[in-house]
Amino acid sequence: MKIKAYYDVVIIGAGPAGMAAGISCYDNKASTLIVEREERIGGILKQCIHDGFGVIEFKEKLTGPEYSERYIKIIKDKNIPIITKTFVLNVEKKGNFKLTLINPKEGIFNIETKALILANGCRERTQKQIFIHGSRPSGIFTAGTAQYFVNILGYLPCKRCVILGSGDIGLIMARRLTLEGANVIGVYEAKKHPSGLIRNISQCLNDYEIPIILSHTITKIIGDDRVKAVEISEVNEDMEPILGTEKIIECDGVILSVGLIPENEIAESLNIDIDKRTKGPIIDQNFMTSENGIFSCGNALHVNDLVDYVSESGRYAGLSAARYINDNYERKFISVEKSLKDFAYIVPQYIDIKSIKDKVIFYFRSMDIKENVKIYIKCGENIIFHKKYRYLRPPEMERIEINLDKELIKGEKSIEFIMMEG
Amino acid sequence: MSKTLTKIKKNIKKNITEDIECFKWHSSVVLEGEVDKWEDVILAGRLAANKGYKGVVNKIKVKGLNIPKIKRPLVKDNSLENRFVDILIIGGGVIGCSIARELSKWDCSVLLVEKEEDLAMHTSSRNDGMIHPGLVPKPGTKKAYFNVKGNKLYSKVTKELDISFKRIGSLILLDKNYLKVTWPLIKRRAKLNKVKGVKLLPKKELIRKEPNISKGVVGAIYIPSTGVLSPYEMTLAYGENAVDNGVKISLNTIVKSIDKIKDKIVSVKTNRGKVYPKLVINAAGVYADYIAEMAKDKFFTIHPRKGEIVLLDKKRGAFIESVLANLDLSIKNSKTKGGGLVKTIEGNILVGPNAYEQPFKEDYITNKESVDKMLNSHLSIIPKLSKSDVITYFAGTRAATYEEDFIVERSEYVKNLVYAAGIQSPGLASAPAIAKEIEKISIDILKKQMNLKMKIDWNPKRKKAPKLNSLTLEERNKLVKERSEYGDIICRCEEISKGEIIDALNSKIPASSIDAIKRRTRAGMGRCQGGFCMPLITKIIKEENKTHMTNITKKGKSSFILVEETKCSNKEGEN
Repeated sequence: MKIKAYYDVVIIGAGPAGMAAGISCYDNKASTLIVEREERIGGILKQCIHDGFGVIEFKEKLTGPEYSERYIKIIKDKNIPIITKTFVLNVEKKGNFKLTLINPKEGIFNIETKALILANGCRERTQKQIFIHGSRPSGIFTAGTAQYFVNILGYLPCKRCVILGSGDIGLIMARRLTLEGANVIGVYEAKKHPSGLIRNISQCLNDYEIPIILSHTITKIIGDDRVKAVEISEVNEDMEPILGTEKIIECDGVILSVGLIPENEIAESLNIDIDKRTKGPIIDQNFMTSENGIFSCGNALHVNDLVDYVSESGRYAGLSAARYINDNYERKFISVEKSLKDFAYIVPQYIDIKSIKDKVIFYFRSMDIKENVKIYIKCGENIIFHKKYRYLRPPEMERIEINLDKELIKGEKSIEFIMMEG
Repeated sequence: MSKTLTKIKKNIKKNITEDIECFKWHSSVVLEGEVDKWEDVILAGRLAANKGYKGVVNKIKVKGLNIPKIKRPLVKDNSLENRFVDILIIGGGVIGCSIARELSKWDCSVLLVEKEEDLAMHTSSRNDGMIHPGLVPKPGTKKAYFNVKGNKLYSKVTKELDISFKRIGSLILLDKNYLKVTWPLIKRRAKLNKVKGVKLLPKKELIRKEPNISKGVVGAIYIPSTGVLSPYEMTLAYGENAVDNGVKISLNTIVKSIDKIKDKIVSVKTNRGKVYPKLVINAAGVYADYIAEMAKDKFFTIHPRKGEIVLLDKKRGAFIESVLANLDLSIKNSKTKGGGLVKTIEGNILVGPNAYEQPFKEDYITNKESVDKMLNSHLSIIPKLSKSDVITYFAGTRAATYEEDFIVERSEYVKNLVYAAGIQSPGLASAPAIAKEIEKISIDILKKQMNLKMKIDWNPKRKKAPKLNSLTLEERNKLVKERSEYGDIICRCEEISKGEIIDALNSKIPASSIDAIKRRTRAGMGRCQGGFCMPLITKIIKEENKTHMTNITKKGKSSFILVEETKCSNKEGEN
């Protein structure tokens, strides 16, 4: 493939978000290029060999590689330009966006684009970011790294391990390591409730009799060369370890599943506004960030619970980017207001009232576990949406789709999300 | 009992217990007995220090405290058996390696042994990389002398060895109470220690230099000669240049015993065979006293003073330009350095180090309480910084003697033994000057035994492997065109290519572990802390070194990354 000097849209990342964005850009007649830093496309799905992907998108349960294969096939069939093993060194705004890229074949080269879609996923929080102390031996892995070793490279990183954090990848790895013959002593979670999906607690832990121990954390790593043991402590309401509750557990590995953070180094280098809660860019309903022409989707935008939503966000970002190429764009924002006590976050954070065309999709998570609540969306004095929820749980992302009436919203400064008991 | 000895004993009795024996041995004072806590061991040592004896040999034990033995390499072979060398250097930290490099000028055989799998594994990779100006050490001490001299020498040696070095300057921040009283004291100290260019910066100028600084600061003392570099890069560069000039380095090599005849060392037994040196240089860091004891020459004691260091995300690097320290942390007491914020050569902000006494020489455990305390006090210097900017933290131990000064001299009682010991902070800053002094001492001794000339083909220069992200795009592109592996980014946070990792594996002192690659390339040092690149690097080591994945370690010995192959593994890219 010959790389051109200009594309209407460049998409960074060929995981589920980037692939969906690329297909939708292409279908909407924009000249498109997908840039992927790894050798193979598919993003994190490559190593997610468990099932449960695609229930919404394809109405069937697929494995990660199967799910991504479906998109890869479309990209290949349509011959959508894609370059792999290519790393973005720099993005500069010079009228258009000028990308500086590097790969083994071309060396360093530049591409200009009118629109840029950031679909470069997220990374795992590390041991140090949650301030675990003690020694620094080998045998401490984030769940995703352990998953790469087991599923891609075919090696077992430990035989007797403790899992810290009950994020979904940690739960999946508890099962995976057990199936590979390792002894998973338990999943320790500092919070009072699990961070992962209920289905994963049931299918990955309960089915294999792996205990989950809530309100406990690792307070010390022990071992010089390889992990020998960990010190576990109970934590109080403020997640501070309670003195006197320390317990030593012997193990040869620690798997961390303590959260994911959107990778936003490119967005930050362009001074794009970042949401403190999502750690991703602040966007409007078209997935456009505070910078005209830059879009964000997938886990780079906010960490999703299901890949199906990642693909959906990619698709919308792609469509919006293709539209942006042709339109003379000027935006006028109203904000999406919410109580920070009730909502962990809501995406998008703004509505561009000039470009309201079709449906608007909101993704949100509640701050705490809530039973029997109603969500209202208010626009001025009007309630434009309401829905009753039996349960709202922070691990589960919620999606709301509404039709926004352009006339109704005119003159308003914001729309507001309200959560009410009962 | 002499008068001083009686006085020391009385002092210890008053402050700790009467059960401590004090006696003179050679030129030193020896303390023996048992106490309840480590603090008392330290206190006794301090009470006996600098009272007219050459050193304090503190043999006081703590009831019930078990101090682990020195950590040993797993290797055992005969690769050094019957090796005759002119000079044996014990220790591959910045001191041992800088000495090796200076001695490599001379037409004699030099062997350096290091017990770890790589150079710079202890204190030399566990410090803040600061090249201190020499203002803090007490005038007249060896510390003051070598620090100021070493600092100056860095301009030349970093050029010769192709090491990034920046004189970013340091600022001692002053609040209202200290402003007036401090300046005359510091001015005087600077004059005595011959530190040039020190000046008082009023608030306005300070803010021009460091616009993000907290509002409470009213001024600062500016010391322009303070510099920063990577301490492990420096150590490796010294080591590589030494190897280039004929020095042999034997890693995974520990000294097990020393044989003497009368007042001379004849042989040194290691886990890899017996070495027969004409001269031995003790640069064994925190274990220098342990080596001295083997030569029955222990005239000092190293008490490991721990320091913890925190590194912040590079994204926040732009918030400061220099080294920032609060006054009370940096100048009042040279024993307890309190650190501050350092803009590292790589552009991160480093917080620390702190300092506290503890009994274990190789214990690098970090503690939540002390790290939190340090963060709380130092991060407030720049209000824009927060705990969420932390990407990693680690600890090191300083090789402090009770005299709190360097030992750079020939042994009084063993004729062919030379000491570069007790090299604690500012040891890195002093290293080039200490190395030159040890070179002089050693050559003087050897010249009496052999005909010694300088090599005519000595090459003071070393060229570092390319660091692609520090090059211009044109230079970088040229390299990728020559070798495509330079275009294959493996560590995304620090932008390190596969080519650079392969270079590290094939360097003069080859890296063989994940951490050794990290020290040479920075791969894995970014915000994801190796989450993405570590498996890829493991695979590159396997391919380049034609080894098995399960043999690869994080840092040598038994620090294996992986346990075994999975039951039905399908090895990608493996045959």
